[in-house]
Amino acid sequence: MMTEADYYALFEAYAAGELAAPARADLEARLSADPTFALRYADFTELTDTLRALGQRQQARQQLRGIHAAMLAAEAPAEIETPAAGKLTHTVHPILRISRTERKLREFWSGHRATVGVAASVAVMAVFATLLGLDLWRATKTQPGYQALRLEINKIKRNQRALSTIITQGTATTPPVEPSKFSGTGFALTSEGYLVTSYHVIQGADSVLIEGRDRQRFRAEPVYSDVKHDLAILRITDKKFNGFGRLPYAIKSGQADLGERVFTLGYPREDVVYGEGALSARSGFEGDTAFYQISIPVNPGNSGGPLLDERGNLIGVVSGRQNDAQSAAFATKSSYLVRLVDSLAATAKADAPYHLPRYGQLAGSGRPQQLKKLRDYVFVVKVYEKE
Amino acid sequence: MSRGTPNISSPLTPTDDALIAAIRGGDERALAHLYRLHWPMVSHFVLQNSGSEDDAQDVYQEGVMVFYEKVRDGSLELSCQIKTYLYAVCRRLWLKRLTSKSRFGVRLLDDEEHGPYLNTGAEDDVLAAEEQDRRFATMSEALNSLGEPCKSLLEGFYLLDKSMQDLTAEFGYTNADNAKNQKYKCLVRLKKLFFTHYKEEPI
Repeated sequence: MMTEADYYALFEAYAAGELAAPARADLEARLSADPTFALRYADFTELTDTLRALGQRQQARQQLRGIHAAMLAAEAPAEIETPAAGKLTHTVHPILRISRTERKLREFWSGHRATVGVAASVAVMAVFATLLGLDLWRATKTQPGYQALRLEINKIKRNQRALSTIITQGTATTPPVEPSKFSGTGFALTSEGYLVTSYHVIQGADSVLIEGRDRQRFRAEPVYSDVKHDLAILRITDKKFNGFGRLPYAIKSGQADLGERVFTLGYPREDVVYGEGALSARSGFEGDTAFYQISIPVNPGNSGGPLLDERGNLIGVVSGRQNDAQSAAFATKSSYLVRLVDSLAATAKADAPYHLPRYGQLAGSGRPQQLKKLRDYVFVVKVYEKE
Repeated sequence: MSRGTPNISSPLTPTDDALIAAIRGGDERALAHLYRLHWPMVSHFVLQNSGSEDDAQDVYQEGVMVFYEKVRDGSLELSCQIKTYLYAVCRRLWLKRLTSKSRFGVRLLDDEEHGPYLNTGAEDDVLAAEEQDRRFATMSEALNSLGEPCKSLLEGFYLLDKSMQDLTAEFGYTNADNAKNQKYKCLVRLKKLFFTHYKEEPI
């Protein structure tokens, strides 16, 4: 019985052609007759062929490596010898001389330049977006700390149809009217139709509309503005207006005292809103002596509202609040209002004199009674701007 | 091999023809010439497609190996210039490496001057070469797990082409027959190792 190793000896001799003719014929006959035997021979051939091919592959690889090294060596002298030579004996190709670091950098660059480009542009865009965003954010807070309290109403629902009827009554051909852009509060100054509000409420106004508690509307026009003290005087120009009647409050020409109980009425929303507090300082934002500081919670829309003391004397006009402080609102002192009216009265036309109310009717009655009398003289001031 | 076929408009240039003939004849200078001739092209290609100098060398040597082994077998069927063929082979090899490395899809920047690298038969040749690589890898592994002195004996005889007499002296066998018997026993063991591993691996 032949072992596997014996077969291999036989196969190798056969493959090498060292077998004698009869033995070879015998083997060939057996190969064609016996499939298992043929398979064994095929395995042997594959094995030895693979081994030989592997040898050749290794040799060839070695050869190629040698060639590559030789090729690099042939290039190298041009790089290395030039700096060493004291005198130049052959032409120098400076372009060929690339240092190791530089080559690495070049490889990195060629491999990652797309990524680097994208990253760089993202970084640049992020920087500019941040700068722009910060700028916009700062721009929206132009007056840090101080907020004027006029109400922007482009969202508040309004009865536009009624409004446009009134407008078309006034002027025959009016273009369709947009809802008012801002609103504030105003109150009657004289019974002849002068009103007071804050200057910032009517700032940039194209037309002004006054709306009372009973929803009656009058057209008004600014008569005088005092930017410094945030005061504006309006006059009702509507033909159907026939006077306020007697005003229930007097306008105080002196200063109010610290700690006085004060209150205001205003239109921070569609309905009149009462607010109450104390006079907490006799100077306003950043020490402005034209203003009082009051501890009444006020909101946008309260601007231009009357500030009254316990006895129902008008002592100021609500103007603004401090954002970064708790319940710190500011109101223009009424003494400035009186002074303004006096100077206006001196130059006033005969058909529109100023008659300030001298005596109030509110002293002594309870607050609800005071408000009932008062509320008919407090109005919404609606401001329209040209686009 | 297109050198032997009566191809009227052979795409091979006379130099290509001569080169193949010389390499087939075992001329090392011809191989070195060919190697040097096309290295810049492949190196440029690999460097351009986020490879390093070393990557280029690996890919190029592998590519030349595919070409060289086909030339030596006489199984090369060129339908284009050697340059184009090598470019196609190396491109395929590099694409394969890049895809295995990268999580994303790979797009290669091609040099248009190297012409239509598709349909050069390079794809099939690369696939065949991969199969061959797998076979060689299994064989090397089998040889390594064979242990001494079998490994050195078989390597000496088959891989390094040493004669039986040299090996007998080297390994200290009393005579050549002893060495031969030892070699056959080693072959039997190698066969088991090789075929179990080679067959069971999925293609």
